[in-house]
Amino acid sequence: MNSWSNITTLVRYWMKGRFTKVTAIWMVMGEVFSVALVLFVGSTFLSFSSRFGLGNGLSYLGLTLLFGLFLVGLVQSGFNGSGLPMSAADVDYVLTSPVNPREVFAAKLLMNSFTTVLLSFPPILTLYLRFAQTYGTGLAPAFFAGFVTLAFFVLCLLFSADITLSLNSRAGERVGPLRNAVLAFVAAVSLAPVALLIPGAPPELAQIAAILPSGLAAGISYTLVSGAAIGLGTLLELALLTLWFFVLLGVGTRLSQRNFYEVLQISDRDSEGGVKDARLGRGLQTDGRPVWSVVRSKERVLMSRTKENRSLFVNALFLAGFMVVYSLSGVFLSSPTSFLFLLFIIGSFGSGNATRWLEKERLWLIKTSAVDLRRYVREVYRARVTPLLLVLSPVAAGVGAPLLIEKVNGPAFLLSIGLSLPGALEVAALMMAGGMFFAARYGQSSVDETLTTQGQDMADVRRFLYQTLINLGLVAPLMMLVLSAGYVLAFVGVSGLLLTTLGLGVAAFVYSAVALHLVLGSAGASLQKREDL
Amino acid sequence: MALATGFLLMMLRFGTCVSGSLMSDPYIPRRIQLPERSAASEVTRPSMNEIVIEHLSKSYGKVRALSDVSLSVGPGEVVGLLGPNGAGKSTLMKIVVGILRPTSGRVSVAGMDLVEEPDSAKRSVGYLPENPSIYTGLTVREFLSFVGKIRDVPDQVLKQRISDSLSTFSLEDKTDALVGTLSKGMKQKVALIAAGIHDPKVLVLDEPLTALDPRTQVFVNGWIAERGRKGTTVLLSTHNLEIAQDHATQMAIIDNGSIIAQGGLDSLRKMAEAREDARLEEVFLKLTGDDA
Repeated sequence: MNSWSNITTLVRYWMKGRFTKVTAIWMVMGEVFSVALVLFVGSTFLSFSSRFGLGNGLSYLGLTLLFGLFLVGLVQSGFNGSGLPMSAADVDYVLTSPVNPREVFAAKLLMNSFTTVLLSFPPILTLYLRFAQTYGTGLAPAFFAGFVTLAFFVLCLLFSADITLSLNSRAGERVGPLRNAVLAFVAAVSLAPVALLIPGAPPELAQIAAILPSGLAAGISYTLVSGAAIGLGTLLELALLTLWFFVLLGVGTRLSQRNFYEVLQISDRDSEGGVKDARLGRGLQTDGRPVWSVVRSKERVLMSRTKENRSLFVNALFLAGFMVVYSLSGVFLSSPTSFLFLLFIIGSFGSGNATRWLEKERLWLIKTSAVDLRRYVREVYRARVTPLLLVLSPVAAGVGAPLLIEKVNGPAFLLSIGLSLPGALEVAALMMAGGMFFAARYGQSSVDETLTTQGQDMADVRRFLYQTLINLGLVAPLMMLVLSAGYVLAFVGVSGLLLTTLGLGVAAFVYSAVALHLVLGSAGASLQKREDL
Repeated sequence: MALATGFLLMMLRFGTCVSGSLMSDPYIPRRIQLPERSAASEVTRPSMNEIVIEHLSKSYGKVRALSDVSLSVGPGEVVGLLGPNGAGKSTLMKIVVGILRPTSGRVSVAGMDLVEEPDSAKRSVGYLPENPSIYTGLTVREFLSFVGKIRDVPDQVLKQRISDSLSTFSLEDKTDALVGTLSKGMKQKVALIAAGIHDPKVLVLDEPLTALDPRTQVFVNGWIAERGRKGTTVLLSTHNLEIAQDHATQMAIIDNGSIIAQGGLDSLRKMAEAREDARLEEVFLKLTGDDA
């Protein structure tokens, strides 16, 4: 068979494995939810930008920031080794077949691109149509902008796959520091668009951001949707974006020939827990310790011996970079409402991690013992949430410090910020509990499971739907407390500032503690009822 | 904002059949010495069958996995649960160990009802699943210590049992090795030790010989037989009919979710109307309708 025939065959059969009737129904539900969310958020943004004089809606800077975030997200995914997802079945059946790794790489890319395009196109188009309506530019430009944006998404997937492939190269392991320097450079550059938010950012930064895929795609899309004249600059942007695509494709194709099998082996090893070497560090001590202390200790030992810590560190670096830039931007920090967006981002970071904490394939061991599953879930949570909150604390402080120092313009704002800072950690803690509840109630926790064809799509859509709703439901009361601070203060007066802060702070803490206890207990009860273990 | 949503989404992303007793086999490196059951785990209830299954049924939606299954196993008996793939063996075993809940019927282990007294019943059972997934990030000693801890084994007893078991299974030199670095056969041995670490009255073993090399198969076979001699009740699922014939005190043949025959080899021969010297394989094929 020729290359195209191999690629087509792989994609066709992976596709057959993915799209069952149930998957299709879930995907439609996910699309409807996304479109509704985009309409709501888009309209709110338009109204917000109009009220605060941030322009008349979509801006090049805004779009660059959003595309930059997408790029950063996929670069981060690439660093975590998820840029080229491989399942055990890929290793067993594809690797042993006479198919060139380059063809497997192309088929994987096509498959992932197809899913991304399918899931992203409706909400993206909805967003552009909403803005096109504002600008009065019609349907065609919105559609063209949508296609450019989708091409940019595919390019990001390619970038992510390249990073994962490069991380596992033999050359990379020999020249570790050099590889790390290059990767750090890539990470820093990918954050350039976000750094544009900093007031007084050097103009060179804007120039770098402009020639990155995110900047180019933003430029073209903005031009189309806003109805600006399409000139030589736009064509140049299109040419550069195309060049980026082919360069990344060339790098990926070359890397796939050399490093593909190592990635496969690493994927296989990771499905066994990701244990890398015999550097054990602190061991699990059980003598004289109560069972729950041993459970917590087991979790900490497992974290230290798997790639989880590295992944946590990489995530935290990206998150910290984003948060600090965001906080220094000043523009969006004119109200606590904006700060709540930050809280949600912080929480989402932990929530995704928490879905993997219960290790479904090993729960048979716990479920056949007399251990109380509710308590087990709470103890696993306790052991794993602590390091995450320790990572997030400086991030929250990094965001909060500039707020406190520069932006305090009244007692009400001071109260809101005073509540928001501990609230950031409480929101993160609640959303991580939400992530555990989602994994316990609806399945999906093992690495191999998320990499199996149907499992991945189902997990993505379910996670998007359920986790957003679960997390919003959990943190909404806390956010309401922060938002209502100003009104409460207006009622009690400035003299009651300290008392109000203490009262609302205690209320927020009590709510968080009770919610955590109930949600984690429900997660344990759900595990008890699960029959797929 | 759709892209911010996308950003959030991303953040959230086993042989050879070997017969004959262990003690006469030259492969076995040392005689298996298992401790008698400790006083702490002795039954405080009147003597009775260790496993009692009455009119048990289990359905997954519209699919009936088990239908009106009844089985009684006495103390120290080794019962071979035989049947074709998908017959319901693993489902039955998962109910006996408390992973699955019965749709109807009753299961009791060591005199305790699994639904009404799950914790007490679970303390009396040790389980080896068909494909045991264990904590690959822990060392062998750490893993066994953890299992012993969650199964309420006192520290001093646990330490001694781990040491004795590792010696029995010839794993002393792997004590501080990560489970993830062990071969499949070694992992199976570790999982077997874990199943018996709390000296349970009942052992439920789902395909314990899967993926094991002949030497290890003979060893595990001997271990199971020795457990039975020491008074442990063993419910053993296997496709290896010779092993069942040699070691099981009785056999239960399950097909399409129902037990179609139960008893010793002689009674199974009568049920199948087979010759007096017929091998279990021939009897099995007749009973399950596959006597080609």
